Amino acid sequence: MDGHIYGYNLPISEKTKAVPWEEKVRIVEEVKSDFRFKEYIFGCLNCGVCTASCPSNRFFDYSPREIVQRFLEEDVEVLYDMMHEYIWACSQCFTCWIRCPFVNNPGGLVAIMREVAVRNAFEATKDLLKPYGRVLLKVMTTGNQLSADMLQPDFFPDWGPKMADNMENLRAKRLAIPFDVGKSVKTAWEVSLETAVEMYTIWRETGIFEMLEKLDPNLYNVIMDIVEENEERYEELYEEEE
Amino acid sequence: MAKHGFGHNSPGGLLRYPEQPPFPLKEYSAHYDHIFEMMEELEAKGEILIHRITEEHQPIEVFTRTGRIKTIPTNKLWHHKSCGQCGNIPGYPASVFWFMNKFGLDYLNEPHQTSCTAWNYHGSGTSNPVALAAVWLRNMHQAWKTGYYPLIHCGTSFGSYKETREQLIMNKELRDAVKPILKKLGRLTEDGRIVIPQEVVHYSEWVHAMRYKIADLYQKEGKPKGIDVSNVRVAIHNACHTYKMIADDYPYDPEVYNGQRPAASAAVVKALGAQVVDYSTWYDCCGFGFRHILTEREFTRSFAIQRKLKVIAEEIKADLIVTHDTGCTTTFEKNQWIGKAHGMYHPVAVMSDVMFAALACGAHPFKIVQLYWNCSDYERLLEKMGITNWRELRKEWEDTVKYIADLEKAGKYDELMEFFKEYDLYEPYSRTSTGKPKASATANMPLFKS
Ligand code: SF4
Ligand code: SF4
Repeated sequence: MDGHIYGYNLPISEKTKAVPWEEKVRIVEEVKSDFRFKEYIFGCLNCGVCTASCPSNRFFDYSPREIVQRFLEEDVEVLYDMMHEYIWACSQCFTCWIRCPFVNNPGGLVAIMREVAVRNAFEATKDLLKPYGRVLLKVMTTGNQLSADMLQPDFFPDWGPKMADNMENLRAKRLAIPFDVGKSVKTAWEVSLETAVEMYTIWRETGIFEMLEKLDPNLYNVIMDIVEENEERYEELYEEEE
Repeated sequence: MAKHGFGHNSPGGLLRYPEQPPFPLKEYSAHYDHIFEMMEELEAKGEILIHRITEEHQPIEVFTRTGRIKTIPTNKLWHHKSCGQCGNIPGYPASVFWFMNKFGLDYLNEPHQTSCTAWNYHGSGTSNPVALAAVWLRNMHQAWKTGYYPLIHCGTSFGSYKETREQLIMNKELRDAVKPILKKLGRLTEDGRIVIPQEVVHYSEWVHAMRYKIADLYQKEGKPKGIDVSNVRVAIHNACHTYKMIADDYPYDPEVYNGQRPAASAAVVKALGAQVVDYSTWYDCCGFGFRHILTEREFTRSFAIQRKLKVIAEEIKADLIVTHDTGCTTTFEKNQWIGKAHGMYHPVAVMSDVMFAALACGAHPFKIVQLYWNCSDYERLLEKMGITNWRELRKEWEDTVKYIADLEKAGKYDELMEFFKEYDLYEPYSRTSTGKPKASATANMPLFKS
């Protein structure tokens, strides 16, 4: 049957149907085995308070109540299907968490589900994350996620003409800030080399680079070029000091 | 585990309750409190080192949602910057630094830090709890090593760090996973412990704790300049990641809706004598949505306009929306103009609590508060506050920008440096914690050359 009598009324996608049952179980179990899972879901009244207060519910066919209910019912088919596009509607505001009488955290469940979808390089995830490439490039190489030059007016035409004005003479404008909180243009602040190199170790040790390689090999290569160059510079500097 | 309640103190004093509830409380157990006692236990076992708030930090006590006493350090602070603020709304951190200079407080602003990376995680799922914990503990170790106490500028960093701390304290498996990484980085104490701060402190809590001092400064320096905020109608927007994430650990106060609403930004607006005006969708988020602001912009726009800007304009005719997180400020600011196309233009000034407070206390609207970057309709607010010379002040700043740009274009770096000696209010890296000259990870890279 496609969807449910009430609740998850989206038809189960053909792609989900074609996936072997064992694989769907494996993915859902991966979510459930996360150490946070037991801290994010206790029980559910099915009261719908989370959904009533959820901003994403107002604009998308999306309901946090549904996610909690499907986990409690162990509805593998629906959960697996949700992990492709459905969960990306969540805006991670955690209104559901503060409002739920059971102190369930549906937004937290979504975070785990997204992480598992990314780690398993779901096709939908690759597409959904494409516009995010620039943020990933910045964060993985510099430890900063947002910089002045990212707010390009052609990327944000809906933000109005003031944006173009702000970007003009950007470097001089940043230098004119009389505290060191934004003198750089391409990073939010200048990050020390030591710090960046420490960060690369964290990405290596925690499997973040590996995950990225599966997700977007081109972006991975660009990032690794910068990482390796910085690591070499750091080595040289360190040798000089020895 | 000890039973908590009013009058309860944990053995090490990290968990403290007043004798009586400071405001009416709902019947719920304080979900978060046990972590303070567990932190003390883990410290006694030699697993962690608690970075404590001491007298030199000039602590001020505030109440949290459950009535717990939270200690806010106000001096000797290590600025954990926000990529969003520094990159996008530089007047936000500049106003924080301006106040700290005004009050003669000691602080450290150094490049040996990363952002929390939680914006990325919440937006794209491309991280994991071990990586988030390692990033947090690295930054916290750095702060501890310098002897300065971390002050978290970003709302999302604050929420994410509170959550990460709870996860670390509650899960040995997470501590075991992160420890070898920190060891590799040299980010454990000499006896192999991880460093965890006593309290995770957001800058808005600092502003909250300092509100009476800020109000004094307004009387002494703002008012004599003809600035008057008493007629300013302010809508408060509380950021989800400051008060909905680990909800128990954010200030509430009897003076702000009798303890029934988050207190931080509302309290400073009230202390200044401006009008805090209630509106029906105060509880809603701004529509930022992490990935949504980049990839689902129609959601962000619709939500910001219909659920917040429209309501704020029609219900209460506010002059200003006061925020305390970058994401919200950006969302409200940048999604006004597009409303014109649909007959839904609700122009209202948007800025953070500390920016508004700095304006009230006489800070330069462009050089310090950097309103130049703002897209919202701040000019009417300045007029209403009595800052009627804003055109001249704006020209002054624009002339400075032009002067800098011309010198740079002409390659006159010596002159530029001379100019900055007088102009800069804080010498950037004069006090890196290592004492070594900094090597930048970014300045020489082709992709990032500034
Ligand atoms: S965190 Fe997600 S599910 Fe929860 S209220 Fe916010 S948008 Fe809805
Ligand atoms: S608010 Fe909590 S109890 Fe109610 S439906 Fe949502 S998850 Fe279930």
